[in-house]
Amino acid sequence: MRTEELTLNVGPQHPSTHGVLRLVVKLDGERITHVEPVIGYLHRGTEKLAEGLNFTQIIPYTDRMDYLAAMLNNYCLVHAVETLMGLEIPERAEYLRVIVMELNRVASHLVWFGTYLLDIGALSPFLFAFNERETILNLFNELCGARLTYNYMRVGGVKWDAPEGWLEKVDEFVKRMMQKVDEFHTLVTGNEIFLNRMRGVGKYDAGTALAFGLSGVNLRCTGVDYDIRKFKPYSIYDRFEFDVPLSQEGDCYARYLLRLEEIRQSLRIVEQAVAQIPDGPVMAKVPKMLRPPKGEVYTSIEGARGELGCHIVSDGKDKPYRIKWRRPSFVNLQILPKLAVGLNMSDLVAVLGAIDIVLGEVDG
Amino acid sequence: MFNWLHGPMTVGTLLTISVLAVVLLLIVLAFVTYAIYFERKVIGWIQLRHGPTEHGPLGLLQTPADVLKLLIKEDIIPKLADKPLFILAPVLAFVPSFTVVAVIPFTDAIGFTDTNVGLLIYVALSGITILGTLLGGWASNNKYSLLGGMRSAAQMISYEIPLILSAMGVIVMAGTMNLREIVEFQGQMGVWFVVPQIVGFLVFLIAANAEMNRSPFDLPEAESELVAGYHTEYSGFRFAIFMLTEYVYMFAMSSLIVVLFLGGWLPPLQWIPGLGFLKAVPGIVWFALKFVVVVFYWIWLRGTMPRFRTETLMNFAWKVLLPVSLLNLVATAVIKALV
Amino acid sequence: MSAIPGFMKGLGYTFKQMFAEKSTYDYPNEPLKMPERFRGIQYLDVDKCIVCLQCQRICPTQCIDIKGKPNPEGKGKVLESFDINFEICILCDLCTEVCPTEAILMTNNYELATYSRDELFKDMKWLNENDENIRRGDA
Repeated sequence: MRTEELTLNVGPQHPSTHGVLRLVVKLDGERITHVEPVIGYLHRGTEKLAEGLNFTQIIPYTDRMDYLAAMLNNYCLVHAVETLMGLEIPERAEYLRVIVMELNRVASHLVWFGTYLLDIGALSPFLFAFNERETILNLFNELCGARLTYNYMRVGGVKWDAPEGWLEKVDEFVKRMMQKVDEFHTLVTGNEIFLNRMRGVGKYDAGTALAFGLSGVNLRCTGVDYDIRKFKPYSIYDRFEFDVPLSQEGDCYARYLLRLEEIRQSLRIVEQAVAQIPDGPVMAKVPKMLRPPKGEVYTSIEGARGELGCHIVSDGKDKPYRIKWRRPSFVNLQILPKLAVGLNMSDLVAVLGAIDIVLGEVDG
Repeated sequence: MFNWLHGPMTVGTLLTISVLAVVLLLIVLAFVTYAIYFERKVIGWIQLRHGPTEHGPLGLLQTPADVLKLLIKEDIIPKLADKPLFILAPVLAFVPSFTVVAVIPFTDAIGFTDTNVGLLIYVALSGITILGTLLGGWASNNKYSLLGGMRSAAQMISYEIPLILSAMGVIVMAGTMNLREIVEFQGQMGVWFVVPQIVGFLVFLIAANAEMNRSPFDLPEAESELVAGYHTEYSGFRFAIFMLTEYVYMFAMSSLIVVLFLGGWLPPLQWIPGLGFLKAVPGIVWFALKFVVVVFYWIWLRGTMPRFRTETLMNFAWKVLLPVSLLNLVATAVIKALV
Repeated sequence: MSAIPGFMKGLGYTFKQMFAEKSTYDYPNEPLKMPERFRGIQYLDVDKCIVCLQCQRICPTQCIDIKGKPNPEGKGKVLESFDINFEICILCDLCTEVCPTEAILMTNNYELATYSRDELFKDMKWLNENDENIRRGDA
């Protein structure tokens, strides 16, 4: 009997490709033989635009790269500039930065949780996760005036100090969220259907992960203990006690468990930071026109999706000569063609969701 | 009504039965309208939100508004679609769903047929729907629809077998396929079939869920993978027909479960003496209550469960449900022979 | 507890959630109030502006257009026209940060939807009249 290979276009608009991503899939019945991701539908030329803007003006643009974890993007840029200029940041600013960064990591993982389970077919956990995320976004709204694109950090500190009563609200939220993570586990983790969808699917080992340059949860699920917050601590992360979740399995279920565990660890950090935060100024004395000295710097931080790096080449002027961001989703997406061979359509969606990409970051 | 069926057919009887049939159709349509509303409300409450509230008081006019929108939309048929089959598919899917409602006895006085092969008619007619969905998937000239249609055909055929086998346990115990006599047998037994046939009940519940293409078995219309499966290309009125099919099947399947396993129109706990006052409540009220419980269960399950993978679905039907229902049938037959 | 199959625990959880408090807002029937620091549409105080052009220079998307003329009474400059193109303004708040006289401030209004793109080009008169819910400078 003659059979033909079916070419299916999981097109740019699709309910489960987390943004505008196109996958050209060749199917043999229900088995996939070849997948090719086509990206670039969301490319806005941030790196080129940045060559005509001074550093403070680039900060709103970084918000829009990985729009689910904008504080982390802000921090990546200002950290690189501060390293180049050798600035000293006030204590209170550092603590506020850590609090907002970890809260933003929690928010990003909540979005991942909701949308991943929606892809797998469960309708309800999406809304439970977004309900909690609403609280975080309202906290950020009170702090810096926006819910998604914060424009909060500046070179030398942060823009606003926390308003009255904000830190108490953060503390309350942390306690509630710790309980909610347990409730999420009750709803999802024991369910046999979920386990069947996620266990053993999309498995890879540490060697493959390192060869493809994966980072973040995608690397730690294979057993490689690499978290930049512990390996090369930046900001004041060396003052907090937290664990880095690790797993040996390397499949979608391991990544799911690790991300939920990371939410708990981030909440631990926020709790300690709120307890330890000192008083003081929130902005260092920086000149109005920021002129970093001539030179290059590359710094990286542990973003929500992996290693987020920023490489600045400066020639002494107030505008950078060249900026390049190492965006983790762009690198992590490269493993999809290798993992997808031999799966069926449902598993493809599960694997793509577990890599956790954001198209704003993939395209830049 | 059953007396009319057994007596000679006069013009008066024929007219009355026709009018009552139309009344039944209207009741089923009303059920569909408010089942959709009920589903959206319940899933909304599970998800910490209100569900429809805008149209009409408490949002009760939401479904009529949706149906009106579907009916006044432009009828789009893709250029390269197979036109006759494209138009035939929803009809083939939908007609059997209404016809099978005819075999269900609602109370000991209300029922439209009284044949000795009621269950067989039900299962046979509901198989024609599979043709409709497969044709819909093929005629759309769309790869997503084709995948959806294939999956749907495979799933529905595989799950029909455990469905029938688990119902056979009831038939062996009751000794008849006549649905009205099955309910009367439960009255005589004192307990509903859900108690001695608990295994059959669970298998039937799962297989019925798969037959209705509802979550967690909704692979054919998996929204996040296949956009909308076999009804991707259908819009407007034809899509309304597919949706109607699904909900009328919910009506028919839930009624069948109530009749086979939950005692039809009989009041509960009849084996406790002293509760005879429950007989004062008319049978149709008991039927409706049990029916609502079963429908709520389908909706509750949809709001909680993710969907299966294709292979797991097939494995589950053939390697788990089929042996279990076979064992159930054999055990029932053996016990009935011995006792 | 581990004897109960996992999916039944899930069913129990969703059943309990049915009776929990709903968490949706009834917008647009009830207006949604934003906190004090919310970055909404700008408000312009024409008398305070000294046409230093700092806001035009700092804007990351170049959406502000200013024309000044010499002050007829006294020294300095006054505004002749001040346009903000809301098709590209990203409400990032950098213009209010650099203004030395607090002539341009953010309000808490966020209802910017219009039926035609021409109306998104706001001029000096409109920005001056947008004076409700102005954000306090010390928030």
